[in-house]
Amino acid sequence: MNGHIGVYVCECGPNIKDRIDIDKVLEDISSLENVKVAKRFPLLCSNDGKKFLEEEIAKEELSHLVVAACSPREHEQTFMTVCVKAGLNPYLFQLINIREQCAWMIPDKEQATAKAIQYIRAGIQRVAFHRPLEQKEIDSIPDVCVIGGGISGLETSLSLAGRDRRVYLVEKEDSLGGMAGKLSKLLPYQGSELSPVEAKIKQAQDNANIEIFTSSTVSDVRGFLGNFDITISTHGESSEARKIQAGAVVVATGFGLYDPGDDSQYGLGQIDNVFTALEFEEMLGKDKLLLKNGKPPKSVALIHCIGRKELGYCSKVCCLYSIKFAHLLKNTSADIDVTELYTDLCLPHKSDQAYFDEAKEKGIRFIRTGDDVLVKEKGKQIEVEYDRNGQKDSVTVDMVVLAPAMVPSKDTATLAEMLNIPLDKTGFFKEIHEILDSISTPIEGVYIAGCAVGPRDIPESIVQSQAASGKILSSLIPGKKIRPEVKVSEIREDFCTGCQTCLSICFYGAISYDPIKDISVVNEVICRGCGSCVGSCPSGAIRSKHFTYPQLYREVLEALR
Amino acid sequence: MTSTQKDDKTESKTGKTLPAEDGITSAIINLLKKSLAEKQVEAIMIPSKVPDTEAYTWLLLQDESLLALGNPLPPVMTVQGGKALSNVTKHGDLQEKVAAVMRPCEVQAAVELLKLKQIDLDHIYLISVDCPGAMPLRDYVNDPEKTAKAFEEAFSTWGENESVRPVCQICHQFSLPAPQQSASSDNSLPKTEANFPAADLHIGLIGGDGKNVFLIPATTKGQDLLDNLDLSAEDSMANWESKVEEIRERKLNKRKAADAEWQAKTEGVDNLTAVFDDCINCHNCQSACPVCYCQQCYFDSQLLRLSPESYLERAEKRGALRFPLDTLLFHVGRMSHMALSCVSCGACEDACPMSIPVGQVFTMMGNKTQEYFAYSPGTDRNEPLPLQIFEEDEFGEVETPREGAEAPKEEAEKNV
Repeated sequence: MNGHIGVYVCECGPNIKDRIDIDKVLEDISSLENVKVAKRFPLLCSNDGKKFLEEEIAKEELSHLVVAACSPREHEQTFMTVCVKAGLNPYLFQLINIREQCAWMIPDKEQATAKAIQYIRAGIQRVAFHRPLEQKEIDSIPDVCVIGGGISGLETSLSLAGRDRRVYLVEKEDSLGGMAGKLSKLLPYQGSELSPVEAKIKQAQDNANIEIFTSSTVSDVRGFLGNFDITISTHGESSEARKIQAGAVVVATGFGLYDPGDDSQYGLGQIDNVFTALEFEEMLGKDKLLLKNGKPPKSVALIHCIGRKELGYCSKVCCLYSIKFAHLLKNTSADIDVTELYTDLCLPHKSDQAYFDEAKEKGIRFIRTGDDVLVKEKGKQIEVEYDRNGQKDSVTVDMVVLAPAMVPSKDTATLAEMLNIPLDKTGFFKEIHEILDSISTPIEGVYIAGCAVGPRDIPESIVQSQAASGKILSSLIPGKKIRPEVKVSEIREDFCTGCQTCLSICFYGAISYDPIKDISVVNEVICRGCGSCVGSCPSGAIRSKHFTYPQLYREVLEALR
Repeated sequence: MTSTQKDDKTESKTGKTLPAEDGITSAIINLLKKSLAEKQVEAIMIPSKVPDTEAYTWLLLQDESLLALGNPLPPVMTVQGGKALSNVTKHGDLQEKVAAVMRPCEVQAAVELLKLKQIDLDHIYLISVDCPGAMPLRDYVNDPEKTAKAFEEAFSTWGENESVRPVCQICHQFSLPAPQQSASSDNSLPKTEANFPAADLHIGLIGGDGKNVFLIPATTKGQDLLDNLDLSAEDSMANWESKVEEIRERKLNKRKAADAEWQAKTEGVDNLTAVFDDCINCHNCQSACPVCYCQQCYFDSQLLRLSPESYLERAEKRGALRFPLDTLLFHVGRMSHMALSCVSCGACEDACPMSIPVGQVFTMMGNKTQEYFAYSPGTDRNEPLPLQIFEEDEFGEVETPREGAEAPKEEAEKNV
């Protein structure tokens, strides 16, 4: 507070000059005690203007700079850069808006001038209490945390991992592969080659730049793009928590299967030989397509669309895999009778129609039913009742395979809250734009890929994983610097009693508790300067670095005088 | 400091009846002696008379023989028990078990301090006692004998005694909360039927006629203590419970009337200023308050110091400026900082040298603000402080709708 404040009023072309009596402003302002110089200039944001300010700062040995011109949103940065060039700390500067807030809204010149003077005086009062603040620069972290070790998580990890970029792959089960890993014969290939999922698991395990955590979950995330602090908790005999840092997060937590319930119309869990598609896949994998009594089935009914009506969306993949099941069943025995019951058929890929036609040629029956399909026990067999075009009909079979809808995986809601990303009506993660960007979230640096976003097949999941990787590769360049917020909060130790009220209020998780000193501490890198904590502290122990009590009080006091 | 003190409540109000042949105080002291002797606890915290004086103080004692000085219900509340207890654990957990015998409002203050991380209750057994109230400190200082005698009478006129402090006369938290709905179904009254009583063990006196005391465990911790003490006492609580509800109903009505009265008396700046006319800004009320926990009160700090020019400016504007400045700001500010946690203990009013009814005003403010958040301070350790949680739908009553906009949500919905 050396009292060498320089005040410069911009004419802004005709914008301010014609609507405010600038000379009157200068006359008033010059009379103030701590104002060393008050001048006017045609256009301060021009190259000439900036040069002029730079020279003035040096010539007049200014301790603080006040510019009365347009909105800070226009040129605050511009003039701050001028300060830096002139060797003046850019936070010892205040930009007063006398264009949008005076010239452009008050038609009467006298009134506009009076208000401009009031504003500038208030700003001068404030700036006198500014302290120099430092802009920190930290390295952005190129590493990525991938949540979910299924096909999407694996693909993302493999696309990203490299010498300059580490990937932390976190999987809650004790093995990688997710749901895709449980499938035995992926379409469209049906042969005996190594499952693509197994191949990717092996690649990931062999990749030195991918650190894999199984039986683990992400239990805490705070920070922002380029600088996330993430806690990974491993369960089991020795539950430990590991803290890592990453620049981005990709959520690839996949899906679960719809459970129709214990007393549903489908007999799941009550009638023997009624299986879900996943259970059937397991049997396929072991080459044991058998009934509970150990014998092979002579007739099978495959029921599609389980849960589609209740949930309100189609799960895209079930028709195809049901047809796959039918084909595979026919492969075991040409005589086996296979019926597929569906309410709608979904065959979107290039080769699907042909696959379907082939199935029909093999004698697999496709029956379009109404919604009410009932699975009942009939002696040692199963009767599936359905209605078709208003007529009731039924088919009696040895085995029933249900195709349940895809639902969001169990931890979706918890993760959404932890990461502050939204879910949509269906409970899956909500993409920022269904057409243009199905892998980004409103939180910069947090991406979503695969079935975590909604029902989709493996090719689509792979593409999304690559897309998320692409975005990360182009934005999170190793060596890139981040300039975190400067106008953050700080806690004065002597006043803090460690009540942690501020901690519970902080939306960004930027405050932590120091049990040794019994005080709360602000993480200046994560803090965004919102000021909520400042308001919550009854002791007044927290203050904002650039919105201190004296600054605000003086400004308002002067403005209201 | 541990941040959670998870404990579960015992379901029914069962307890033990302890005979009190030599009087209530004796019965309680003996109980405490037993717990010390049997090493259920390592120390006792209890109000005690200072020998050869009329003064009362808190003692943290391990010497059994000194327990004879103890008096769980002194005629006055000198230092608020919650405040005294928080001094013990301010810098960490005790590691040794302590039984602290206090008035219910002192226990509640301790629970509020727990939520503010200023106290650690891990190794503390909170024992509350049915409280007939406390006598005004001023009266006791002026005439200890007479006041002590008047206090004795309070034990036979529960809920109707008008010589106890005004805040005590309207206090509905004088005993353990009822397990079922509060006697009054009026939603505008503060909830007393909290999920969870604050104390671990409660000593009931009402309905015992001075011949018996009732020992009621309220948490599993309290139950354990009682079980371990192996008392030969009977289970029979009926008399106590019904009498307590009767008295509570009466007091709730008194409280409602008092709230209305004080709201009227303090309505508007002029009225409020008048109430605090005599205030000398000593800040005693803030020092005595158990819930005021700041290292340095904001209102004592440099943050409020202004330059002499500012003072002259203000004096010029108003004609004159009284010093010390901003008396009303101090009180209203303190209200905004602690009203949600105010347990109406009245320590502030006892401490005021100018006899300002600050306890009664703050009680009214506390009641009203706590109602807005359906928050009952100090009665449920798991109920978070309203300031620390965010509800999307709350406080609609104070929002003034814009012209044509929808009115705020119905009051009835809020108090569910």
